[in-house]
Amino acid sequence: MGKHHENLLNNLEELRKKAGLTQQELSEAAEVSRKSINAIENGVYVPSTVLALKIAKTLGCKVEDLFKLP
Amino acid sequence: MSYFRRFLIVSVCGVVQIFFASYVLLGLLNLNFFELPSDSFLLPGILIILGSSYLTISYYLGDKKLNNMLYDEYSALRYYKLGAIGYAINGFGVFLIFSMQDWSNWDLTSANRMIYQIAAFAWMVFGFLMLIFSWGDYQEYHAERSS
Repeated sequence: MGKHHENLLNNLEELRKKAGLTQQELSEAAEVSRKSINAIENGVYVPSTVLALKIAKTLGCKVEDLFKLP
Repeated sequence: MSYFRRFLIVSVCGVVQIFFASYVLLGLLNLNFFELPSDSFLLPGILIILGSSYLTISYYLGDKKLNNMLYDEYSALRYYKLGAIGYAINGFGVFLIFSMQDWSNWDLTSANRMIYQIAAFAWMVFGFLMLIFSWGDYQEYHAERSS
């Protein structure tokens, strides 16, 4: 299984690690399940706009920094 | 509500459903090793009513932050996928059960048996799906504890 979804490239893992957060810590801060974070990082799941904005807000970056079209 | 509590509620309901479904299916094959009192068949229904009431109340009145995590969109997608698999398997099962009947000697006893077969099969399938769903909650609980 690749890191990126076929329709979306993501830098979530990189930015999360840069912020010094574990998947569990990020999930608690963004109020989503750890599975969601894990699935997004592994390119299994494309988040909704609200979830993408929540994650970006928690990491203090823009959604465009997290996700890019291939 | 927490992942562990939801795991407990859903898995206990799932295991009880599988137990009673197995009992009914084995009975249809005349393979019951023991006799269950007929009143005990209320147990899975009571558990489902109590469990789902507790889950519903905690969803509306529980801690909002926790509920956002417990019922986030990825969990909803998982639940939807498992439900869809359940309906597909049940559809296939009902087709098989219909195909197995002896329609040339059809009577009320056969109809009664077929209703039991369909009910027990659906019970069994959804019991297993509940166990699979609750396993995801257990993994979340385990990850929470180890972090």
